[in-house]
Amino acid sequence: MLEVSQLSVGYGEFQVLFDISFKVKKGSTAVIVGPNGAGKTTLLKTISGLLPIISGSIFLDGIPIQEKKPHQIVEMGIAQVPEGGRIFPYLSVEENLKMGSFPKRAREKFKDRLKWVYELFPVLSERKKQLAGSLSGGERQMLAIGRCLMSEPKLILLDEPSMGLAPLIVTHIFKLIQDINTQGYTILMVEQNVKKALQLADNAFLLESGRIKIKGSKEEFFANEYIKKAYIGL
Amino acid sequence: MLNLIINAIINGILLGGVYALLAIGLNLLFGVLKLIHLAYGQFVMIGLYILYVLVVNAGLPFWAAAIITIIVTGILGIIVHILIVQPLLDAPRLNQLLALAGLIIVFENLSMVIWGADYRNIQMSLPVVAVGGFYIRMSYLIAFIGGLITLGLLYLFLYKTYLGLSIRAISQDLEGVELMGVNPKVNFYVTMAAGGILTGIVAVFFAPIYAVHPHFGSSFTILAFIIVVLGGMGNLLGGFISAFIMGVVTSVAAFLTTSEIADIIAMLIFIGVMLVRPQGIMGIREAR
Ligand SMILES: Nc1ncnc2c1ncn2[C@@H]1O[C@H](COP(=O)(O)OP(=O)(O)OP(=O)(O)O)[C@@H](O)[C@H]1O
Ligand SMILES: [Mg+2]
Repeated sequence: MLEVSQLSVGYGEFQVLFDISFKVKKGSTAVIVGPNGAGKTTLLKTISGLLPIISGSIFLDGIPIQEKKPHQIVEMGIAQVPEGGRIFPYLSVEENLKMGSFPKRAREKFKDRLKWVYELFPVLSERKKQLAGSLSGGERQMLAIGRCLMSEPKLILLDEPSMGLAPLIVTHIFKLIQDINTQGYTILMVEQNVKKALQLADNAFLLESGRIKIKGSKEEFFANEYIKKAYIGL
Repeated sequence: MLNLIINAIINGILLGGVYALLAIGLNLLFGVLKLIHLAYGQFVMIGLYILYVLVVNAGLPFWAAAIITIIVTGILGIIVHILIVQPLLDAPRLNQLLALAGLIIVFENLSMVIWGADYRNIQMSLPVVAVGGFYIRMSYLIAFIGGLITLGLLYLFLYKTYLGLSIRAISQDLEGVELMGVNPKVNFYVTMAAGGILTGIVAVFFAPIYAVHPHFGSSFTILAFIIVVLGGMGNLLGGFISAFIMGVVTSVAAFLTTSEIADIIAMLIFIGVMLVRPQGIMGIREAR
């Protein structure tokens, strides 16, 4: 479904990603783990078209998308839950969800999908008239995920959904992400919470200082000595 | 005496509707594009001149001239966006300000060359009507009603359509809006066109009230800025409220003293509010 091939990206002169290649299969959950500053956010922003690339290509269902604008990429079916959620604080919860259904294909199904998102996240339904800025951290992350689902995406990019959340809420959110994947959505998630993230993963990638160091299945990652020592702490 | 003060308050409220209309476009441009449109009053001035030419020189009926004026100022908004605002969107704030200040000079001198320094107005003396012992100027009443209708339509656009929603969202997070599938360029064009259209509408309702001259714009730009800053930059509701405050204060103070002192009192209130609440009445302190 998604194929990234020999991708290099930087900010001006300062190169951040080097020769990144990986694939995400339809219906699977792929997880990219790596320390602070490894380039995880940079990678997701690049896939969404927010950053220009130095070289390489990105394909969605075989169609190259690296030259496309962010809004075109969303229209093609890639939705992102950005780092920290980035909900619109001065819009109500429901207006935030409506923003998610901005792509043409999603608008006519707004009502149905809204109902579904409220079933997934009942707390959002209780707070629908409230300004999104007044939500708690966990509720914001749920709103950001719900908003992304509103666009009826083929592929969901998640940038550190566990960031800044209490362990109990992280468990809850990861459970929801797993449910969403079971419903047929393809997921590419970036995480620092390696242990929890790997539990959801079909495939995983380790990104360190802008390079993919290890690729493998969940089982291979859990068995890998380096991963265990440096990231899981066993 | 009490009756007269109530009368002044009524006139102030009517004036507030006109002020609200004047300020809303400026507020929208700031909220969405972070644009400080210094030449906003000059846009209104150009609108008034266009209206004047169409009615007086071309002999068109007022309604037809009004529609054409609104369309032309809308197009003018887009042209200014393409030529000046868009290229400077990521430039330092000062460059934008200087470019728009340059536009003031262009507009004022162009008007001077074309129409000279004379005060020009469209002759349509609307009556002052007496309602239950109060005297109400029809021109203000019409502007007030027109202002409320325009604001109502703008509200429907901003709150009931996808484009309007994304225009409100873009003022909060540009990149975030792109991730929702919005093409920000479209929003910027629409906002600049809307800003232009609003100045055209202001010109239409100002025409029966004011005569236009080449330096007409600056006092209204200042007034609009005071209203917008008092309400909280970019906050549409705040701008609306402060427009009525300014309208009533100047009207009542002008009745009790003179219109010059009224302006001073309005300024003092403005400065007072700024000292206590620098972010404006409804403004929110920038967290970033
Ligand atoms: N706008 C920018 N301009 C210049 N350099 C940047 C910019 N954004 C990020 N960087 C640099 O790029 C590198 C990768 O940053 P990135 O945000 O992609 O890391 P990350 O893996 O998401 O980290 P974290 O886990 O802290 O979110 C860092 O060295 C960072 O300093
Ligand atoms: Mg990051």
